[in-house]
Amino acid sequence: MNWQEFALNPADYGIPNQQQLQELRIWSDHYHGFWNLRGLFPPLKQHEEMMKYVKRMGIEKVISLDIGGDDDTEALKPTPIEKEEREILENNKDHILGIMRVDAEFPEESCAKMEKWIRNGPCIGIKFLLQKNGYKCSHPNADKIVRLAEELGAAIYVHTFLKAGGNPKSINGGNSPGEATPMDVTMLAKRFPNVPMICGHSGGDWELGARAVRPYENVLFEFAGSWPHSGSVDYAVNELGADRIVWGDHGPSRSFSTELSKVLDASISKSDRMKILGENYRRTWAKMFKSKNIPA
Amino acid sequence: MTNLKKFTRRNFISTMTAAPVVASITASNHEHETPPDNKPEIIDTNVNLFKWPFRRMKYEDTKSFSAKLRQHRITKAWAGSFEAVFSKSLNEVNSRLAEECRKSDKGMFVPIGAVNIAWPDWEEDLRRCHEVHKMPGIRIYPAYQSYDLTHEDFPKLVNLATERSMMVQIVGTLEDTRVQHPIVASREITFEPIPDIMKKNPRARVQLLGWNDYVNDELLKKFVTETKATFDISWVESTGGLGRLIDGNSWFGVRTPVPVERILFGSYAPYFPLESAVMKLFESPLTLEQMKSVMNINANNFFKQVV
Repeated sequence: MNWQEFALNPADYGIPNQQQLQELRIWSDHYHGFWNLRGLFPPLKQHEEMMKYVKRMGIEKVISLDIGGDDDTEALKPTPIEKEEREILENNKDHILGIMRVDAEFPEESCAKMEKWIRNGPCIGIKFLLQKNGYKCSHPNADKIVRLAEELGAAIYVHTFLKAGGNPKSINGGNSPGEATPMDVTMLAKRFPNVPMICGHSGGDWELGARAVRPYENVLFEFAGSWPHSGSVDYAVNELGADRIVWGDHGPSRSFSTELSKVLDASISKSDRMKILGENYRRTWAKMFKSKNIPA
Repeated sequence: MTNLKKFTRRNFISTMTAAPVVASITASNHEHETPPDNKPEIIDTNVNLFKWPFRRMKYEDTKSFSAKLRQHRITKAWAGSFEAVFSKSLNEVNSRLAEECRKSDKGMFVPIGAVNIAWPDWEEDLRRCHEVHKMPGIRIYPAYQSYDLTHEDFPKLVNLATERSMMVQIVGTLEDTRVQHPIVASREITFEPIPDIMKKNPRARVQLLGWNDYVNDELLKKFVTETKATFDISWVESTGGLGRLIDGNSWFGVRTPVPVERILFGSYAPYFPLESAVMKLFESPLTLEQMKSVMNINANNFFKQVV
């Protein structure tokens, strides 16, 4: 099996071939290759397997969200593969970068982890995920973390989702404890209007998510980790502008097909497509990349 | 309405006038399995026409949708109607669907009618799908039509459709329940009754659409080893998911391999971008034979078994 060969030419089927994908300079801001799925592979082997697809699909760079710990609700719980992750990030800057998780319940410890992994390590940013005691990114505790991120010029990623549920059913009544909504991001964004941050998963519900973040120019809107809806990127471009949208692959639990199709479906210029697929991320955190000698 | 012709085995035989229409569709497909330019065309077994009630679809206009399909080398599309999911006037929905398919982009759309066994006299809708609208199959949406597949009429539906040589497409997921409009409460269903019903009727031709959330590995094994059910790829997910489905090496652990002969291209457009399903053919390093199977050969074979 040759991973660089295609039995048919994708361009004959209305989608970009590998070279055309490479020309788009795609950076995925949402790579889960190191996430322990407790499935077919241990994390390092899984990453190795994932990179075959990354290369096949012409992706220039992926940004892992699981560096230094991949526990969904305990962001500060260390990973047993810390040494290997550090080596991979330090030696493969041309195709993989990493961000690390923080916990708003423990700002001091989160900042210490940032010192270790960002100021004195290979990571380029932080992620707020779930939090078992309900400390979301909007909690005042997060301010200390965000201030340090601002000082370091670090990328800030916030997992958000609007999960319909509850009784009576509401747009976020099905959210997990400590799971932020786009509205939580806007509360943080309002406190830090000059700090760029990503509203992850386009808020789960992209129609409502885009409405929520629309007034906050420092919020980037991410398409990753959701089912592909035709017209969704067109809608976001109309509401937010192409300069505020970033993209991620969310593999291995999602496919490049699912995620890329959202952007390929959009009736936008090649220039705007390139912005969404990587240029916006490179531009927003250019200083960080320069300071760490990361090819961008 | 009591004067409408009811289906019986006798008048079934006398109403096989649908067959020539269906046969011509199949022949047309067969001719294009691998055209002279060696670029196989695609048969999309899972599209929908008309309006989704909660959002305007980018390609909801049939003409623009058809052009979009052709842009991706899709030359045949088995089309249901989004209206069928919510409307109680299914005959009206099916009539509109048949008419739209007939008048739009000749030969592109194959109408797949809707039947709801939870509603009275559904047998008449089935009869009309076959005899009046000349449809080769029906599509059911139990999670939205609000019945379980344990419903006493479900085996009857499969049997009657099979007697008429019609395919039955069973739809699992239509949308991510997490982002449904809060007013919607789609039903929790299970596909578990299907294999036993198919085993009792080996001639039944069943295709599962949007099936992934409803079929765990144990059930998948039953479907693969005990039935001839086929699967679409619209909701097949994970990196390289199609190749891994064939190989049985899911990222989440070893799974029952699904023979490539049982996998049919299905996009769930225009709800999903067409690019999603098309790109799945290329994301995994499939062989040419595997690609051709999924692109059209399996759909043609499935169709031929139906007619």
